[in-house]
Amino acid sequence: MSYEDQFQELSARKQTALAMGGPEKLRKRDAEGVLNARSRLDVLLDDGSFREVGLLAQSAIRADREKTPADGKVSGFGRIGGRDVAVVSNDLTVKGASSSATNARKIAYIKGAATKAGMPMVFLGESSGSRIPDTMGAESMSLGGSDPEQYCRRRETPWVSAVLGPCFGSSTWYTCLSDFTVMRKGAVLAVSSARVTSLAIGEKVDPQELGGWRLHSEVTGLVDAVADTDEDALDLARTFLSYLPSHAGELPPVTDWTAPDGGALLDIVPVERTKTYDIRKVIRLIADEGSVFPVKERFGKAVVTALARLEGRSVGVVATNPLIRGGAMDPDACRKATAFLVMCDSFNIPVVLLTDTPGFLVGVQGERKAAPAHIMNMMHALQMMSVPKIAIILRKSFGQAFLNLGGGRNSNEIAAWTSADVSFMDPGVGASVVHGIDPVEEPERFKQACAELRKDTSAYDMAAVFGVQDVIAPRETRSYLVQALATHTDRRTGGVGRHELANWPTYF
Amino acid sequence: MAEFPVHSEVAGTVWKIETRAGDALEEEGVLMVLESMKMEIAVLAPEAGKVLSIDVAEGDTVREGQLLATMSAET
Repeated sequence: MSYEDQFQELSARKQTALAMGGPEKLRKRDAEGVLNARSRLDVLLDDGSFREVGLLAQSAIRADREKTPADGKVSGFGRIGGRDVAVVSNDLTVKGASSSATNARKIAYIKGAATKAGMPMVFLGESSGSRIPDTMGAESMSLGGSDPEQYCRRRETPWVSAVLGPCFGSSTWYTCLSDFTVMRKGAVLAVSSARVTSLAIGEKVDPQELGGWRLHSEVTGLVDAVADTDEDALDLARTFLSYLPSHAGELPPVTDWTAPDGGALLDIVPVERTKTYDIRKVIRLIADEGSVFPVKERFGKAVVTALARLEGRSVGVVATNPLIRGGAMDPDACRKATAFLVMCDSFNIPVVLLTDTPGFLVGVQGERKAAPAHIMNMMHALQMMSVPKIAIILRKSFGQAFLNLGGGRNSNEIAAWTSADVSFMDPGVGASVVHGIDPVEEPERFKQACAELRKDTSAYDMAAVFGVQDVIAPRETRSYLVQALATHTDRRTGGVGRHELANWPTYF
Repeated sequence: MAEFPVHSEVAGTVWKIETRAGDALEEEGVLMVLESMKMEIAVLAPEAGKVLSIDVAEGDTVREGQLLATMSAET
């Protein structure tokens, strides 16, 4: 064959591979307003930056070769915001992006290359599970398990997953291992499809109940953000990565910033200790304008976890939200905070803790969910982490929650607002517990006991015993945080932490 | 569209009911305020919808998990 003919063949083979599962399937997706595996990469990556690896890969089963362009998983490298990333985009139009011997090799290659070269990994999920007949029988089962590191998660580089369609098998597993997951409404994330599940259990199963966005954003907490469209989901994936370094050995990029107008802080936080407010508004008035990026906003809502920036530098904010049960954290809130702390510690993102809480939520339901263990998991994470952590007590901080949010020596530095109030429990509750006084039967004695317990709990009492390093006015919070974070950045490592949480579980 | 119940996440007393049957609420709109843990704890609509019924009265003592209101996703 002449060179000319050889080049023609190469070009023809590439064209065939780029046609994916064929025009009919692609048209159907277009009509439904759903992007395909390649158009998703156009949206995700900087213009023209995609460099494909494995375009000419095909099924290992000879008879399927012509029917398996790129073997159903488009993979390669590109850039997001000018920084290199590695990607795997599942192509549902090719045998349902099912897992096979060849495409398993592609994923392993891309993951390995990304880790070695220090770049984030992005998975665009949409896959039906293992491919039949490829994965049938003993021989293929033994081959399938040939990578003993396939699901190891050492958090050496950030992983992001976008759940953009039916996700079963492969794309579900990688989603669960990721640092950030965004889900498009209408997509499904589960072990296996509703059809397989209903056959297995002999009951009709609704796909959205089995693995829809509500389940995962509100009940399981597997999903960190929800989007209406593919485009919005991919945009959230890009934005998330803008807060993260490319790998665990460097700091996140520093961006331009605009200071917020913090004038309204005092209007948002009521002086009356019985009144509640939305801490998300407070965070927006402290962080750089437009920089607050909530993570798991619909899950464990008594605590807010959000990425944000202070003078262009990424921080992870963990803040109790008085709007939800007064800011009393339940097991889900602790699980959410723990997962967030693990991510921040793994990628050198300093943590800011904002506290206004009556303590951990007590109750039968919480105990049935192992509340004390979740409280300790969070505490353990906080003490093990080596990124700077700066804490602020806004109003109340009672009991063990005081420690879990950076009180005592559990932060590099802690400041109290002038309105702060710190003790073993709320004086009103304490009066009944300690003295056994019923407020209805003995109102005078109750009032007296409350006053007694309220003594020595102010910001100045804390400052006097050096329990806080400073007392600040609310409007000084931003500048205080900026300075404290600068002070406590480890100059010996350039701010890179020890990452003792990097090998922690991928789910709590 | 489906009806959905709103349960109390805390034990406390119903302090102030802010809505009545027929009202439309945004997600996180305030249905009522409980008094619990010495605080005014707002009960928020878990999603946007119409209030079908308020199932407690002001002054009632409520348990954790008790039904407070019933809503419908249809406004």
